[in-house]
Amino acid sequence: MKRAAALAGGPAGAILLAFVLAAIAMLVAGVSPADGFSALFLGSLGGRNQIAETLVQTTALLFPALGVALAFRAGLFNIGAEGQLMIGGLAAGAVGAQLDAPGAVAAVAILAAGFAGGAAWGALAGWLRARFSASEIISTLMLNFIALSLASYLVSGPLKASEASGAQTAPLPAASWLPALIPGTRLSIAFLIALATAGVLAWLLARTVFGYELRACGAAPEAARRSGIDMARMTLLALGLSGGIAGLGGATIVEGVLHRFNTQLSPGYGYTAIAVALVGDLHPLWICLAAFGFGILESGGLAMQALADVPKDAIHVIEGLIVLVLAARRYVATRAQTVPL
Amino acid sequence: MSGGAALALTLGALTLIKATPIAYAALGGVVSERSGIINIGLEGMMIAGAFTAVVFSAMSGSPLAGLAAGIAAGALLGLVLGVAATTFKVDQIVAGTGINLVAAGGAAYGLTLIFNQPGASPQVNALGSSFWILVAAAGACSIVLHVALYRTAWGLRLRACGENPRAVQDAGLLPLRLRLQAVILSGALAGLGGAFLSIGEVNLYSDGMTAGRGFIALAAVIFGRWTPLGAAGAALFFGFFEALQYVLQGRASWLPSDAMQALPYVAALFALAGLVGRVRAPAADGIPY
Amino acid sequence: METVNALELRGIRKTFGSVVALDGVDLDLQAGEVHALVGENGAGKSTLASIAFGTLKADSGTVRAAGTVGLVHQHFELVGRLRVWQNVVLGREPKAGWSIDARTARAQVLELAQKNALDVDPDAFVDELPVGAQQRVELLRELYRDPVVLLLDEPTAALAPAEIGRFFETVRALAARGTAVMVVTHKLQEVMEYSQRVSVLRRGRMVAQYRTSETNVAEIAHAMVGGEPAAVASRQAVPLRPCLRVLDLTAVSASSGVERMSLHVDGGEIVGIAGVEGNGQTALADALAGLVPFRGSIEMNGTAGIIPQDRRAEGLVLDWSLAQNVVLGRQRRVRRGIVVDRARARADAQTIVERFDVRAPSLDAPVRALSGGNQQKLLAGRALIDRPAFVLAYQPTRGIDVGAAALVQSRLIEARNAGAAVLLISFDLDEILAIADRVLVMYRGRIAGEFASASADRAAIGRLMAGAAA
Repeated sequence: MKRAAALAGGPAGAILLAFVLAAIAMLVAGVSPADGFSALFLGSLGGRNQIAETLVQTTALLFPALGVALAFRAGLFNIGAEGQLMIGGLAAGAVGAQLDAPGAVAAVAILAAGFAGGAAWGALAGWLRARFSASEIISTLMLNFIALSLASYLVSGPLKASEASGAQTAPLPAASWLPALIPGTRLSIAFLIALATAGVLAWLLARTVFGYELRACGAAPEAARRSGIDMARMTLLALGLSGGIAGLGGATIVEGVLHRFNTQLSPGYGYTAIAVALVGDLHPLWICLAAFGFGILESGGLAMQALADVPKDAIHVIEGLIVLVLAARRYVATRAQTVPL
Repeated sequence: MSGGAALALTLGALTLIKATPIAYAALGGVVSERSGIINIGLEGMMIAGAFTAVVFSAMSGSPLAGLAAGIAAGALLGLVLGVAATTFKVDQIVAGTGINLVAAGGAAYGLTLIFNQPGASPQVNALGSSFWILVAAAGACSIVLHVALYRTAWGLRLRACGENPRAVQDAGLLPLRLRLQAVILSGALAGLGGAFLSIGEVNLYSDGMTAGRGFIALAAVIFGRWTPLGAAGAALFFGFFEALQYVLQGRASWLPSDAMQALPYVAALFALAGLVGRVRAPAADGIPY
Repeated sequence: METVNALELRGIRKTFGSVVALDGVDLDLQAGEVHALVGENGAGKSTLASIAFGTLKADSGTVRAAGTVGLVHQHFELVGRLRVWQNVVLGREPKAGWSIDARTARAQVLELAQKNALDVDPDAFVDELPVGAQQRVELLRELYRDPVVLLLDEPTAALAPAEIGRFFETVRALAARGTAVMVVTHKLQEVMEYSQRVSVLRRGRMVAQYRTSETNVAEIAHAMVGGEPAAVASRQAVPLRPCLRVLDLTAVSASSGVERMSLHVDGGEIVGIAGVEGNGQTALADALAGLVPFRGSIEMNGTAGIIPQDRRAEGLVLDWSLAQNVVLGRQRRVRRGIVVDRARARADAQTIVERFDVRAPSLDAPVRALSGGNQQKLLAGRALIDRPAFVLAYQPTRGIDVGAAALVQSRLIEARNAGAAVLLISFDLDEILAIADRVLVMYRGRIAGEFASASADRAAIGRLMAGAAA
């Protein structure tokens, strides 16, 4: 039974499962799978604009998924990517609205602000765990809600663009916008930045001493502790870096897509990212592929809803089922004894 | 009645009401963890309970049917987690997260599919003022579970399962079956808590109405040191902060409403942080057997 | 006179993956006898006991028992957070209506304890008891089930010499009342003194059976090993140089503590820490390894190499390869800038595999696939490869086969001969007396006595280990 579960749980199995479940969802909605799938694929890959939109979704998922995976590899459950993404976007929007600098410099500064914001939010959970043995599962989740409250307050008040505008920051100066990758679409070079981040992370984990220590913490916490690794420092760094990458993702949404910040910038990317990370087997390069697959689902899902009358929330159910099945594949983290939960 | 007394009464009543769903979920968390299974899926089980209760109430017209259905839905998800944990021996935290995602997506999907209304269901027959019975029952439940856990053979064996399942097996018992029973019970309790939210406190289901209570319940489990009475007390603590929000609205205009909304979550953070090195989970918690 | 077989094992075969643990084993236990099952580590003794008890199912063969079988494990399986009486009655709780009848349970436990001359406090929490008392609790738990067969797996491993005598008196009394007792052990002196028959397992096969009165230690040892015991390197005369100096050390690690302890280990000697498990050895080891805060002073001339107590939980990342594990603990040294020096890691792994005879499919095989002996040899190699000035070896030969144990001990001696200061913490007094130059006895977190191993008085050491005066 276990072996069947393991086979079924591999990324290939997950994708197959997704197809089967999607077909069932379509049948339930009274739509033939042929119609449903054609709507899905046409809607996501059927043309230049569709591909661009799919890659926009891919990018939005890839950043938080990389962050989540990094934390997982260190033995930490970061379900706060949604909040870290939000704070990163908030920081980017706030800085971008105030900044008066040449375009490229401003762009980099805005991205850096996004990273810093997300990193601080992640490091906060890391500090609570390192200092108080507070379960990061609970604290990152709590911080998601607190982030929403914080962002909501700031964009309705101090950071609000003007009395007339809705709850959002002032638009970023056009010079600082990320250049479009495919002109006329929402796809910016953020996609390339995401791929580059994945590459850097892959190298970091596989080759560097820091990556070695991080992986040891996740694979065998007691042996890692005894090998001289400063566990508290690693917790802070891992969750900080994880949050920073998610925050960077929020910043790219603000800078590349919306060109301003409001609290609607994420329809749950931070949560979907968990599924993406697991399907990608926690390896940065496979996660790129997984993000693309989920990107198809997200962008195609809208088309599926419009053209074939299949509610797009079916996608989210499918994503959840994938996570459930993939739980069988591996122990994501060996919990260190010091933390309850 | 003086203004101050009326305020206190309102605050007290609201605290009880707000604490109830958290308490049910937290009691579920205690039972599950004491048996050795970490139940991160409490949030999803609450969502399932809340949504299913509304659906069945709408279909049958009877809120009691809805209540029963909500409990069953939670129990079903508990079964899923239990089987995943005991037969497939999966990573329990990942499985719980999967259950949360499935339930959240499923409820949203269901809203469109069944009610043709994304975002929120239409109003249904709810419990009305008899919801107070559920509030009282939460307290009764915590006492019953406390006694059961510490005085009965079932409780002794359950606690042994969470500390050393090998010892339980050597005693000729079946630790995996005990764990499965515990997780199903835990799902049923969480489902009950969710149903209270949708057809007890109000009379409909709306997207995101559980708002992380399943995770606050986990904080309550830890804060209450994995005991039923402790978890119920912790639920009151968090319920108080949620109630405070309503009472302060309109009274303390210097406090932004967003800050008040964040109160319960901040309280949870402080609760977690305040327990430096003084708590110990069941020894076999989360470790597949 | 007819003898009744209380337990019959026929043709027992058990494999774990590709490893054959038991290969067609037959064994009979007679009512009222004390039967010793001996064999070196890895011979299959514990596996056979688990199969007889029922925890494990044999691949083929039959197990027939005349009644309930009880098993007292080598590493106890008790519920630490529960009380003694709760552990004993678990699964057979006397009831009063819905709840447990605690009073009856306590009384029954006391009665059973008195009947068997076992000293326990029914209300104590198990995790607060010393190891010897915990064993009595586990024994009581098995006796509560009225077994006709009682299996004891390495029962004296964690007992002080004085407690061993008392333990076997209890065993004799049980046997006299008709229980069949099987003692799984590798301590041949005890076998000679307390058993009526001896069965010898070697590499999963039953190779010999004797009446204890008709055999001797040498014959049994020969059957266990199947040849000459592996040779260990010899200690040479080496000039001593100061290396480790510990002064007034006070430290706590989990439930282990040391209290104002002082000792020194010089380069060129092996100092053995003798003592029953649970007297502060872990606190000492963790303080020396820099893992817990301490008061007092620790001065060390040079670097340290450490062989941890629990290879699986503390020393290795089981899913990683040999080459990757060889870097653990040395990752700041085996590097080129911020990158891990893979070439050097592989070279080091190769060196260790050769010098320490680590049998593995390849350098890239996950260490999980290695046997315990090979894992331990890998750890020893890793600890010694950088030629540290100080070596801490905590139970370095625990649970591994005789060949691997001899090799590890030899390498430690060779390090000592080359000038390293070696601190050996072991619960096996024979090991310490065999390879250490000096012996320090630890009791309740302090040094209770010191001996030169050449002139060591075993009886005196035993008394100190139990807390009595020398």
